[in-house]
Amino acid sequence: MPDISVNVPGLEMENPLMLASGIQGGTAASLHRVSASQSGGLVSKSIGPNPRAMYPGPVCVEALDSVILNAMGLPNPGVEAFSEIIANEDFSKPILVSVFGSNADEYADVATKLVSAGAKSIELNLSCPHSKPGSRALIIGQQPELIYDVVSTVRDAVDVPLYSKLSPNTTNIVSEARAALEAGSDGLSLINTVSAIEVDPFAGRPIIGNLLCGMSGPAIRPIAQRKIAEVSLAMRREEIPTAPLLGMGGICTGLDVARFLMLGASAVQIGSALVWGDVGQFGKIVNELTEFMVLNDYSDISSMQGIALDSLEGLS
Amino acid sequence: MNDQAFLENTTSELLALSDACSLRLSNCYAERGMIASPIPLPILGIDTEAPGIATLWVQVPKSLASEYRPGQYFMCWNPYDSAGGMNRSHFSSEKPYSVGNMGLGTDGRVFLGFTVKDLGIQSGELTKLSIGDWLAIRGPFGTSFPDSSDGDRMILVSGGIGSTPIHMAALSCRNALGDRVRIDAIMGFRNSEESHYVSRMEAVCDTVQITTDDGTLGSHGFPTIHLPNLIESPHRGRAKLFTCGPEPMMKAVLMMAIDAGIESYAAMERYLPCSVAVCGLCMVGDRLTCIDGPVMEGDWLLGQDDFGKPHIAHSHT
Repeated sequence: MPDISVNVPGLEMENPLMLASGIQGGTAASLHRVSASQSGGLVSKSIGPNPRAMYPGPVCVEALDSVILNAMGLPNPGVEAFSEIIANEDFSKPILVSVFGSNADEYADVATKLVSAGAKSIELNLSCPHSKPGSRALIIGQQPELIYDVVSTVRDAVDVPLYSKLSPNTTNIVSEARAALEAGSDGLSLINTVSAIEVDPFAGRPIIGNLLCGMSGPAIRPIAQRKIAEVSLAMRREEIPTAPLLGMGGICTGLDVARFLMLGASAVQIGSALVWGDVGQFGKIVNELTEFMVLNDYSDISSMQGIALDSLEGLS
Repeated sequence: MNDQAFLENTTSELLALSDACSLRLSNCYAERGMIASPIPLPILGIDTEAPGIATLWVQVPKSLASEYRPGQYFMCWNPYDSAGGMNRSHFSSEKPYSVGNMGLGTDGRVFLGFTVKDLGIQSGELTKLSIGDWLAIRGPFGTSFPDSSDGDRMILVSGGIGSTPIHMAALSCRNALGDRVRIDAIMGFRNSEESHYVSRMEAVCDTVQITTDDGTLGSHGFPTIHLPNLIESPHRGRAKLFTCGPEPMMKAVLMMAIDAGIESYAAMERYLPCSVAVCGLCMVGDRLTCIDGPVMEGDWLLGQDDFGKPHIAHSHT
């Protein structure tokens, strides 16, 4: 049997499948529920300084085949309550704790509290508006200087591995990747949702309570793959520091996992697929990946990693 | 199922719009087996059931109505804000409601009745909608009450607005089995003023007993006061108990049923914002109410520490 274990900073996992942030990961009960599945690791909901309620609904709908639209509004129990969970609950899988804030100090403060409570690795959700006057129209993840500010401030505050989660809604994702890595990020997670909107022609208004939303699901998988390829190639060419990539965006099958690995990802995260099969998806995808590796004689994850980049080498 | 009084104030123009929307639902439903994205439907009729309780009638395709199972829910969304416009701030939200009633109209039209009690901002805004306003639905989602078979005896216990899925269970069972099933119901209300669905239940059940917390209608007390008599009364065939209402009531009801060896099911209600196993906030034990419920087995529920408490923590704040 092929070895599908993965070992990246802070995450020693029996397989490369992690729960993506924002899905079922905000309470101890729901994290235990996913942990009991065949996921290799967990990512919590994004935790902020204070408890936050959900946006008005509809918050998450399947707008078309393979298209999930959501605007949850970063609902979370707040860092104090979530630190209790981290300190007191024993999850059977490694947990990457997602953090957000409205400025660098908030990110650092939340991360510090979570690490004091026992968090072993942190994912920075950079897809949040910045509280700085004049920058509200853009999220932090669209402004490399703000990414640098947030990541370096958190880097100075905690010494656990940091993964920066990048938005695909930028001109050239290599710029954002560079800012995060040069600021001391140990790895990158990509991609977050693609910005979207859907209108109901009868009601004459958007169908999501928040109006604007993020798109996920299989329809965005090729977009995610392109972003990962761009960052991987920049690493190969030594244009940016080399670091492990956690890939996500519409992964639903073992073959999808192979695609991400072949473009340079070290592990992947699964989110929208749970809409069509709940936590049973992890076992299904693990089986598909293993079967694929046996059939094609891949002995471990690293033997597949980045092989599709070879054909892209000549691209300028 | 010939409940057409609610169409009294429906114009032919509104009915034409409703037909177009029903066709849209029908195409969606044929493709996916469900309505995955909210589709607005014009409200064709409104029944006032009691102060603050209204039934909103919308037209749906026959395919959807005939495959709907009692207990399943739809996410119902009022797309207007509290000022009646469609501005970004203060939008009414989307919440789960099970179907309370079905009606057959002329020309083969089928209607669903969602009975809503004003219990907060979202449900309150829904009860203020008018004929011709939009109500958007997606679904059906979740588990349903199990079907009955010939000779079965159903014991139904509802509390407050828990009457709605219980009525659908009774109606569907009676329609399927006629007099080959016995249906005994207990309906609990706070008081006479909020009582509703009593005549509808009397039309499909063999017996209906009413209790009120203050004694203003029926017997003074909770529905459990009549349950021992029903459980102990002789009957042939297999007994099944369905309940829906406040959790402390359901817990007491399920304990009595299970002590007596009666197969029992409860329709659960939790804070349920997404319906698609994403937000993870509707858990009971290790199950998600949105996909593993709302109808759950009584013996399983009684084993859960977080079942039966009067107030559930809503959201993270």
